[in-house]
Amino acid sequence: MTVPSTPRSATPVARDPRATGVRRHRREDRAWRIGGRLATILPIVGFAFVMIVLAVKAWPAFRVSGLGFITHSAWQPGNTYGGTQRVHGVLIPQGATYGAWPMLLGTLQTSAIALLVALPISIGTAFALTERLPKWLSAPLGFFVEILAGVPSVIIGLWGVLVLGPFLSRDVYPIVANHLPNVPVLRYFRGSVGYGEGLLTSGLVLGLMIVPVIASTTRDLFLQVPPLPKEGALALGMTDAEVARRVTIPWVRSGIIGATVLGLGRALGETIAVAMVSGSVLGTVAPNVYGTMTTIAATIVTQLDSAATDGTGFAVATLAEAGLVLAIISVVVNLLARTIVRRAGRMAAPVGRA
Amino acid sequence: MDEVTRQKATPNEVDRALAHLDPDAGRPSNVVDVRSLSLQFGAKTVISDVTIPFERGTITALIGPTGSGKSTFLRTLNRMNDRVVGFRHEGEVLLDNESIWSSSQDLLSLRRRVGMLFQRPNPFPMSIKDNVVAGVKAHGIAKGRELDVVAETRLREVGLWNAVKDRLNDSPYRLSGGQQQLLCLARALAVGPEVLLLDEPTSALDPLSTEAVENLLRTLVPALTLIVVTHNLGQARRVSDRTMFFYEGRLVEHGPTPALFESPRDPDTARYVNGLMG
Ligand SMILES: Nc1ncnc2c1ncn2[C@@H]1O[C@H](COP(=O)(O)OP(=O)(O)OP(=O)(O)O)[C@@H](O)[C@H]1O
Ligand SMILES: [Mg+2]
Repeated sequence: MTVPSTPRSATPVARDPRATGVRRHRREDRAWRIGGRLATILPIVGFAFVMIVLAVKAWPAFRVSGLGFITHSAWQPGNTYGGTQRVHGVLIPQGATYGAWPMLLGTLQTSAIALLVALPISIGTAFALTERLPKWLSAPLGFFVEILAGVPSVIIGLWGVLVLGPFLSRDVYPIVANHLPNVPVLRYFRGSVGYGEGLLTSGLVLGLMIVPVIASTTRDLFLQVPPLPKEGALALGMTDAEVARRVTIPWVRSGIIGATVLGLGRALGETIAVAMVSGSVLGTVAPNVYGTMTTIAATIVTQLDSAATDGTGFAVATLAEAGLVLAIISVVVNLLARTIVRRAGRMAAPVGRA
Repeated sequence: MDEVTRQKATPNEVDRALAHLDPDAGRPSNVVDVRSLSLQFGAKTVISDVTIPFERGTITALIGPTGSGKSTFLRTLNRMNDRVVGFRHEGEVLLDNESIWSSSQDLLSLRRRVGMLFQRPNPFPMSIKDNVVAGVKAHGIAKGRELDVVAETRLREVGLWNAVKDRLNDSPYRLSGGQQQLLCLARALAVGPEVLLLDEPTSALDPLSTEAVENLLRTLVPALTLIVVTHNLGQARRVSDRTMFFYEGRLVEHGPTPALFESPRDPDTARYVNGLMG
């Protein structure tokens, strides 16, 4: 079989690559491509650089305690001014031993509480801003959420330790603690309520801090949901709540997950506010939900000064190791979220459709 | 053996016997009755003084130039306009002799009885099967394994079953536009409405899908009553029993479809059905 040959070019001028217009296009194309690649690679390179620096700094501490670092609880700087000893070839102060388990757990617990509190409030706020309230009310509310996003965390921490913590421990926590039954999970909410500094207060303060992050993103997402599917649901005889649950939220589910991860990232890494309201107690796991504790981020910022006095550098290496653990947690959270988003995306509508 | 003598039933007895077979017996023959209806958005009157009965089991086409108030009129019948800021109504809309705005009328069940199909397909972000049964679930009409039966029945009814039976759990957004519209029709039918409002249901579809939807609409009567807004005059002629012509918010003329198209009484109607008006 023969393929009839067609003239390759009917208009040779237009096909000439030396024609200036075409050449400029090619060059611009290449610039875009290279620029685009750089833009994708740079964050990865930057992140890898940070991780490597942390790992190098943390290496001595890792040699001393190995994986035991994340399972043990003791937090003792040892005798910083006295003798030193050599463990696995690393010079450390006499009696120094560090375990990050309580602060690792504290980090996860406070962030979990923050999410549990912030997610419903944020979605509710976003709904109030986009669906139900008249403009004259939703505009100021939106403004308030945006302002809240800009309040420095040290101010929120101050408010938490001076106002919220005392109020909760005096007027709210006792009621909860005295009335819950002694059964698994709820048992954790019984017992001594302390003075307002601790796990629950930290979680609530963190929750408040991430509400604006999640709410403002979610509001923007809701505004993108086209009216037609929502009208379809209403016309089918669904209530507003059903429309929200079955149409509006699923429509932007992956975006909400993304916003939540953003908020979670902030909660995991928040330092100063947690340092102020957690009680900053090292080396012990909170006995109940009101107990004092600390998180990795808060520990790093509160312990850095005294760690610098450790002449062997072991304390600083330990904080670097803690930082590495926090970074790894953040990455894992992100990857998990991506998996969930991919799952959620299976039913999701292409944005702007309908 | 006795000789069986058959006596003729009196007309009255026939009526009574048939009443058991016909669920519509005893109900008013006009399922929707619009009386002196005027509709306003703010200061603007969009529909003025429309009185029109819709006979049970018929298809009525609403035609008229753009902006003449067809959608507004249609969306009032299942109270979709109620929440629009500035919307006001005068006059009455009766559904089975009861005002749709009466306090004893439950909005959610009103919308179950008066369903709606929109200009463009609007599937929900859930699987194909869940789309069909979304309303059924919301109204608690069926649950569990019954839902599968409902889904299959309705998908068969709209002729979509063979196309989607292997991907019931997939996203609806990968279906073609026509298939999506049929899916939305299946979803609307699944809650068992008495009246179906259709606002330009085929304007976003290709000719073949349009034909499929039109053929389907004919099969839905007389079980349902259909009110169809359309810009497609051919469609109005093909599917409807009666046609209403709206012009600038007034119901200018209405009557049996062939009569309205072939011998319109009003000059505006004549210009419109002859394609001489925008
Ligand atoms: N929510 C609203 N607020 C104010 N005015 C409105 C609203 N909806 C519709 N209108 C006005 O009411 C009039 C009738 O609109 P409607 O959508 O009912 O026309 P239509 O006959 O359906 O037109 P089309 O054929 O283009 O769909 C138009 O002038 C429109 O601008
Ligand atoms: Mg319209």
